[in-house]
Amino acid sequence: MISISLNFIRRRRLTIEVRQRISLGLHVSILLGALFFGIGVCIAILLGRGVELSSIYEEFIVFTFFDSAGISSVIVESIPLVLVGLAAAVAFRVNFWNIGIEGQMFMGAIGASVVALFDIGPEILRLPIMFIFAAIFGIFWASGPAILKVRLNVNEVISTLLLNYIAYYFVLNQLFGPWKDPRDKFPHGEQYDIAERLPAIGWEQVHYGVAVAAFSFIVVWWIIERSRFGISSRFVGVNPKMALAVGLPVSTIVAGSAMASGSIAGAAGFVIAAATEYRLTFTMAAGYGFSGIVIAFLAGNRPITTVIVAFLMGSLFVAGESMKVFYSLPDALVGLIQAIIVLSVTASEFFVRYRLRLASFGDT
Amino acid sequence: MEFLTNWLAFMPVFAAPLVLAALGLIINERAGILNLGAEGIMLCGALIGIISYIELGESSALGFIFGSLAGVILGFVFGFLVVVLRTNQVVTGITFVILGSGLTGLMGIPWVNKAVSGITPIYIPHLTDIPIIGRFLFGQDILVYVTIIFVVFVWLFLYRTRTGLELRAVGENPQAADANGINVEAYRLLAATIGGAFIGLSGAYLALAMAKIFVLDMTQGRGWIAIALVIFARWMPWRAIIGGALFGGIEALIPRLKATGVPIPQYYLEMAPYLATLAVLIYAALRLRSGQDAPKALGIPYVREDRK
Amino acid sequence: MRKALEFQGVHKSFGQNSALVDAFFSAHWGEVHALLGENGAGKSTLMNIASGLYAPDKGLVKISDKPVIIDGPQAANDFGVGMIHQHFKLVENMTVLENIVLAHGQGGWRKSLQRVRKQISDISNEIGFDIDPDAQVNTLSVSEQQRTEIIKVLIGGAKILILDEPTAVLTDEESTGLLDQLQIFAEQGKCIILITHKLREVFSHANRVTVMRGGKTIDSGQSPKNLTPEKLSKLMVGEPTEISRISYSPPKETVLELNGIFSKRDNGHTALDNFNLKLNAGQVYGLAGVGGNGQTELAEILMGVRSMNSGEFILSGTPLTNPSPSRVRALGLTCVPAERYIYGLAGDLSVMDNCVITHLKSGQFGTFFWTNRRAINKETKQAIIDSEIHGAEPSTRARLLSGGNAQKLVLARELAGSATVLLAHSPTRGLDVRACTAVHEALRKSASNGTAVLLLSEDLDEIFAISDQIGVINNGRLVGEFNSPADRSKIGHLMVSHH
Repeated sequence: MISISLNFIRRRRLTIEVRQRISLGLHVSILLGALFFGIGVCIAILLGRGVELSSIYEEFIVFTFFDSAGISSVIVESIPLVLVGLAAAVAFRVNFWNIGIEGQMFMGAIGASVVALFDIGPEILRLPIMFIFAAIFGIFWASGPAILKVRLNVNEVISTLLLNYIAYYFVLNQLFGPWKDPRDKFPHGEQYDIAERLPAIGWEQVHYGVAVAAFSFIVVWWIIERSRFGISSRFVGVNPKMALAVGLPVSTIVAGSAMASGSIAGAAGFVIAAATEYRLTFTMAAGYGFSGIVIAFLAGNRPITTVIVAFLMGSLFVAGESMKVFYSLPDALVGLIQAIIVLSVTASEFFVRYRLRLASFGDT
Repeated sequence: MEFLTNWLAFMPVFAAPLVLAALGLIINERAGILNLGAEGIMLCGALIGIISYIELGESSALGFIFGSLAGVILGFVFGFLVVVLRTNQVVTGITFVILGSGLTGLMGIPWVNKAVSGITPIYIPHLTDIPIIGRFLFGQDILVYVTIIFVVFVWLFLYRTRTGLELRAVGENPQAADANGINVEAYRLLAATIGGAFIGLSGAYLALAMAKIFVLDMTQGRGWIAIALVIFARWMPWRAIIGGALFGGIEALIPRLKATGVPIPQYYLEMAPYLATLAVLIYAALRLRSGQDAPKALGIPYVREDRK
Repeated sequence: MRKALEFQGVHKSFGQNSALVDAFFSAHWGEVHALLGENGAGKSTLMNIASGLYAPDKGLVKISDKPVIIDGPQAANDFGVGMIHQHFKLVENMTVLENIVLAHGQGGWRKSLQRVRKQISDISNEIGFDIDPDAQVNTLSVSEQQRTEIIKVLIGGAKILILDEPTAVLTDEESTGLLDQLQIFAEQGKCIILITHKLREVFSHANRVTVMRGGKTIDSGQSPKNLTPEKLSKLMVGEPTEISRISYSPPKETVLELNGIFSKRDNGHTALDNFNLKLNAGQVYGLAGVGGNGQTELAEILMGVRSMNSGEFILSGTPLTNPSPSRVRALGLTCVPAERYIYGLAGDLSVMDNCVITHLKSGQFGTFFWTNRRAINKETKQAIIDSEIHGAEPSTRARLLSGGNAQKLVLARELAGSATVLLAHSPTRGLDVRACTAVHEALRKSASNGTAVLLLSEDLDEIFAISDQIGVINNGRLVGEFNSPADRSKIGHLMVSHH
């Protein structure tokens, strides 16, 4: 008996096949399954830390979505997330793995702070000038890896990441040195004047960073979905060899996308500096780089889904923040949750792309 | 004089973890796996190393063993994801960095910032006392010497065994390896696991020998520097020692220079290893034309019945 | 004679494309068995099942009359099946010796090296091959690499040798040498399966022949003695292809001129050696040649993705030195590349995107800042209708199209607008007969509209079917030029003889 059944097993081999076509329903159910799996693991971890199920439900659902204060704080939290998500998406679309969003955010904040510190331009135009400086500083920080990538084929994952550390230590150097707050001698920048802060729009704590995010979204959406650059960059991302062969300016598109990514990251730095911190700090970028990657990845690098995912991520941040306070959970929790969800979604793509099939031998 | 003695004496301690991680990554990449998650795996190795050291009777040996075991587990999971489930190696790698940081941040609280005595350097009378090079050559902890032995072993394994040959074939041309009856998935999974062991060990070394303490996110980009080091080493184990010495030398210089009170801003000093890594990457791209040495199938998943 | 390898009722599909439908096959010990069929007939797929690379969906495999399960290349080797694939399965930057140890090493490293080194020299002496075991594979010529593969399977103890189009990459002389050697193997009792689409080889060297077409076995196991070339080609192609002879027409103005082009391959070998070509408007110029004689490099130079070492490249009267792809395109050169999904289409993008990507600059689909999606959609729909691209909507992913329809899409795009020169590299590879005809018609039609068509093809039938002028490329040189109608045997000879 045993030999027969073993024989049966040997006769059938699991083979992996590339799926040509997948129905929308199956695709969505695989994705949802993965999300539920990931969320389940996260809940299990929280329960393991002594968090009660009912409070998870309250924090994540009730307080964040069914309450004006909750929703507004989610929106506030989402503003920089939309920006970093867009920054990552713009670069990832052309296979430029920009891991340097945090460094570019620092640079953006430095750019804004330079304007604030030296009072560049009239007060009415101060904020727009800060925004422009932030974007330019972000572009500057992304341009190195971009040029190294297209000219010398230097791995951008490593180069952008190294520039994060370099930007970070530069900020530390400035904050412990020349840019130390003259008032309290703390290692953070001098507080911005009122004219250099993004004002509130008049609903809860929501500020005009919303406008910055909306503006960035519209520009990105337009470039990606409607401009010639967008169509061309789609080809660069999917089939760079063909893009080159049909005469598309591949290097320009890759470098341009990387720098666009840097400019949006810089804008994110500006928003945090001008609307949340009101100064340059060395903790302002922490965790945003990976959040951007996660958002862009889960959103499939599309602008509209990026905004939606960023909003959901914002609710995770808000809920996580209050959970941290109540249950004295560590800062690392949010990153861990993100990592688990990304891993389960990316693993599930296997079932979208491939099909397992039992191949049989010896049947006639 | 004393500056040079001290600098040389401390250089191997900074070099060893980089070399160990680079060795693990070389094994990974020779089989075609790009593991960008080294940073996260090192962190877990560091924490587990400290936990087992503290909880299991202050034994450095056990710390190193369990640290590398943590690396084995994470390496295997990484391998399973990218080899069996064929996830994107870049995304998975980056996520592993955060996973490592998150796991250690969540589990590590009770053991954070607890100084340990860790592993102590050897002392051989007379030899260790030789001026300048005495401590450099004969006054290191045992794992520094073991690291050199590992380099030799990995080189022997890759270039003087059939398994090593098969592993390299899998990274160069998985189609050919497969047609020759080599199980591509199994080799890659194995490489990810063994590589993970080295990376985990490197993390444990950071905690038990270099810092003698566990601090959150203590790896400080060393996993990434190790990845750059592999490119610099052109995927050759013995060249990793040169690279390790270079970076170790720079890192060892920082506390030395601080001690001497040379007026260089502290944070520019801290920046130096990253600037150096960037410089090395550019040098490798310009001079070594590193693209040619890279395993041809690096980062590319293999599916036998893949037909476009 | 006992049966060596037998297939019964084998089915295999890749996604939705059936590669094999109820295929059967049987080869005996001691014979050279030709497996004949066009590209895409299923020959390689069937034999890849025997070599353990593919698993059949259904069907029976027998070796020496016993049903077997070949669930991997290792199992194939254990059963004595050795396959020499069309794309050699060698690790390029390892030595011959290392490659063979990789496949058949046993025991320790040193022992393996010693044993295999001895086996290589034994077998080389026995069959008269001369191979340096310590040579790195990427320094070897194609025929030396093939010999390495043959030695490899012989060391593995293969009794059933499967060779997938082994002569496609060889010169005439080398081919004859190889085929003679295969006959000797057969006389020693081995079973030799020769996958080919060359009738000549079947008649000169095969004991029996099986013909496949469209994934089905059409005719199994006849001796070529009982067949005529006409009968066999009819079996192979199905309906006889109408070969319409093109009559010579006087040349119009020259639009493309290549003078003394030299180019090296990536491995340093010479690919193009003082290559000259003159292309006139309104003609189809068929450049015939066995694959690997410099066609790929020529195509890449023309497309602007490879730089030449020296020579003159004059397009539409403009002399160019290593132009960029966009420059070449701006001067009116378009291209139907050999590797459809590498240079021709982005499989993951929509038919719509693929259809217009090379025409965005023309301005007919909106400005740089705002593309006119409605115009693109309309244009694509029109192209789908005009070019009879079946199974396509503007939003369909290009990868989902069948080979023929994908090629029609590439053609539709490259012929839209007014191309001065159209480069068509193996445009019908892997297509069925009907799709072939459609492609040929499209090429002829564009020539009659004044485009100069450069057709690079290994398929002489194709060359003869549509060319006004025929050139022969051999070893990177233009070795002959004829006006249609040309002497086929003369061209065939030039293609394969040594230069």
